[in-house]
Amino acid sequence: MKRYDCMTKLGERLTDELVILSLGGSVDEWYNAAPHMRAASLFQQQLGCVTGEAFGLAVGLPHRQVISLDTDGGLLFNLGILATLGNEQPENLLTIVWDNQMYLSIGGPRTHTAAGRVDLAAIARASGVEKAFTATTLEEFDALCAEGLAASVPYVIVAKVDGVLQPGIKRKHSDGREDKYIFVRHVEETEGVVIMGPSEHN
Amino acid sequence: MKSTAVDAVIRGLKKAGVTVVCYLPDSLFKELYPALDADPDIRTIPVTNEGEGAAICGGVFLSGKRAVLVMENSGLRASVEPLARMGLGAGIPVVMLMSYRGELGENNWWAIPHGITMEPMLDALRVPYRVVRDEDAIEEAITDAFSWSYAAYYHSAIALGGSIVR
Repeated sequence: MKRYDCMTKLGERLTDELVILSLGGSVDEWYNAAPHMRAASLFQQQLGCVTGEAFGLAVGLPHRQVISLDTDGGLLFNLGILATLGNEQPENLLTIVWDNQMYLSIGGPRTHTAAGRVDLAAIARASGVEKAFTATTLEEFDALCAEGLAASVPYVIVAKVDGVLQPGIKRKHSDGREDKYIFVRHVEETEGVVIMGPSEHN
Repeated sequence: MKSTAVDAVIRGLKKAGVTVVCYLPDSLFKELYPALDADPDIRTIPVTNEGEGAAICGGVFLSGKRAVLVMENSGLRASVEPLARMGLGAGIPVVMLMSYRGELGENNWWAIPHGITMEPMLDALRVPYRVVRDEDAIEEAITDAFSWSYAAYYHSAIALGGSIVR
């Protein structure tokens, strides 16, 4: 299963959701696979805190569907977030883990899922996230996305994807600060709130 | 921690507009956590490590709500990776309220590293901070930290020490 194909399928289902994602090649792939979601996506380069940030966003905007696009390496960096999701049971957070079984952005060394013994969906279920599934085909992935986006419990999809970066895609040029401003202004506009407001004159 | 100090913390947080508190409990703030849990205006989120709490606070910032990370100062060491990535990489701020373990007067050997590492690590991250040992200064310290972090879009920290936590 190719990550880019999964992203294209997911993107077709999204309109006014908010997305937080990382890392490496998945950032450029999402930028291309779902261009209508660029402003609604916070592109990060982080290991271990994407789902935490997405959960915080979901806590702050409980009426809005939030999607975390995490990775096997990223989730393994802080498995504790699954226990927190299990305890807190957010109703508006869908977590998708791109599990390519490698650290692709640094050339492909294996992650702990590569040996076939570590099951991230099973870890999620045992942490209290009962709706946690593994997808190995595009049809499975798409069906799980439909269910996960409609769910009112935390939902995790571990997507088993290959380690081949989609060829020929446009690189995203902006950095973390520019991405944050774009994302924050989108949240402000769509939520009618002020997050980064004007300076005081005093 | 005296109940008057607990009240001062909660007053300061409310004055700063905080509605979400992420924490990993510690002994010096032990009276604070149940008081936060019981407050109807505050949602508390216990976390598995302080770095996770920092990430959640960063996400709350992006929603327009205000969060604080409450922890022992040892939690700063667990938080450095997400703090550096979010703060220096993207300008996503986290305000931290820490108990000051390991300052002069500390009588536990295991807490000495917390005192020795806290201020150099805050300096390395270029995080401005205030050590508060006077209960009357708690409320203003908290509101000052939020004012600064929402002007700089960078982290700030308050460490409560001395007789406030002993």
